[in-house]
Amino acid sequence: MEMLKLTNIVKSFGTNEVLRGVSLAVERGEIIAVIGPSGSGKSTMLRSCVGLERISDGSIEISGRSLVREGVTVPEREARSVCARTGMVFQHFNLFPHMTVRENLCLAPVLRMVLDKREAAKRADALLDKVGLADKADAMPASLSGGQKQRVAIARALMLSPEILLFDEPTSALDPELTGEVLAVMRGLAAEHMTMVIVTHEMAFARDIADRVLFMDEGIIAQSGTPDEIFQNPASERLRSFLRSFNRIA
Amino acid sequence: MITGVMLKGIGFTLSLFVVTAVTSIPLGFALTYLSNSKFRAVRAVTRAYVFVMRGTPLMLQLFFFYFGLPFIPFIGKFLVMDRFPAACLTFALNYAAYFCEIFRGGLLSVDKGQYEAARVLGLTGTQTTFRIVIPQMIKVVMPSVANEAITLVKDTALASVIGISDLLHYTRALVNSRADITPFFIAAVFYLLFTFGLTKLFDALEKKYKF
Repeated sequence: MEMLKLTNIVKSFGTNEVLRGVSLAVERGEIIAVIGPSGSGKSTMLRSCVGLERISDGSIEISGRSLVREGVTVPEREARSVCARTGMVFQHFNLFPHMTVRENLCLAPVLRMVLDKREAAKRADALLDKVGLADKADAMPASLSGGQKQRVAIARALMLSPEILLFDEPTSALDPELTGEVLAVMRGLAAEHMTMVIVTHEMAFARDIADRVLFMDEGIIAQSGTPDEIFQNPASERLRSFLRSFNRIA
Repeated sequence: MITGVMLKGIGFTLSLFVVTAVTSIPLGFALTYLSNSKFRAVRAVTRAYVFVMRGTPLMLQLFFFYFGLPFIPFIGKFLVMDRFPAACLTFALNYAAYFCEIFRGGLLSVDKGQYEAARVLGLTGTQTTFRIVIPQMIKVVMPSVANEAITLVKDTALASVIGISDLLHYTRALVNSRADITPFFIAAVFYLLFTFGLTKLFDALEKKYKF
């Protein structure tokens, strides 16, 4: 069964169609990298999967349960339950600035009564250790570097034992020398066969880690394939010029 | 016997301050939410309310609630209030309008990403409001709330226009009867001490909400 299934999703902001019929099926344990120019709909697609954007048409299923059925989003309560095991990591981390790192991790599982306070604290410390930040449990987010913040955000998403993790440009807001530590944590998750969809501009990383790469352009998946197919044999001129623009910088 | 009567006045001043503070802040918060309502009519009514309460003198509002309301045909006779409740009501409604605007600014300052993170983590709307939004808002609005609180201390003196025997009322009476201006100084010292205490309190709160 697919962990995530998008069928022909459409999203428009006013007259601007951001997604023009995107279909995608993600299998358990699969790692998908999504690349493409800005404005191509990558983030919008990802955000639609957790209900942060309401799509205008099409269907979204998570682990076989409908979040959106032919353009109609299920009621709020149900949507929350469908998305309960879907984690998301944002470009700008979105840590809660008024709470310590440990409190950031424990808030949701405790409020949702998934874990009691003691279990949550224990799990938080274990996950912080996993992302290499065991010593920062009592720190406030403002005192952390960007890379550390993003690793905390990943640990926070892991607290709810997600079945699928979505990453929305997780390293785009970081100084170049800090991206490595975040990518390393993501590699660690890949080694554990976490199902992941990663919107990224890190081409080398995408090539390295992904089972499948999607190239999005103007609201559709213009090409999809193994990293080799995408990076060695780009089928379209659009993809070729997109990749060239990255090589020029890199 | 300066202090005896003056203490009685201080009692009224303090009570009015406390009642206004504890009622107008939640009321202002409720107004903030109404002014963000998805219903246009609710938003419009809230905006109009804030406009009227901020746009007319507090003294006029005191007159209106104490002397004016009973003159309303038919329902007027149910709206007769004693001086103190009338003053409390007027102050609460007036300050709520100011707090509404302060909180609205605070709400706007909370980053959209905070709501998104809360949503993705599965928090309900109420949990997001109370655990994520309000704590961050408090930090932003604290200096403005402190400012309002200090203004309120001194505004309480206005209640004397509807005959409430607050500190200033007794002070004036004493000065007149004794032909001695010492009570003015005593009153000034009281207001200063009160304000000083509030300043310290808000400094401590600001420290607590520093993150």
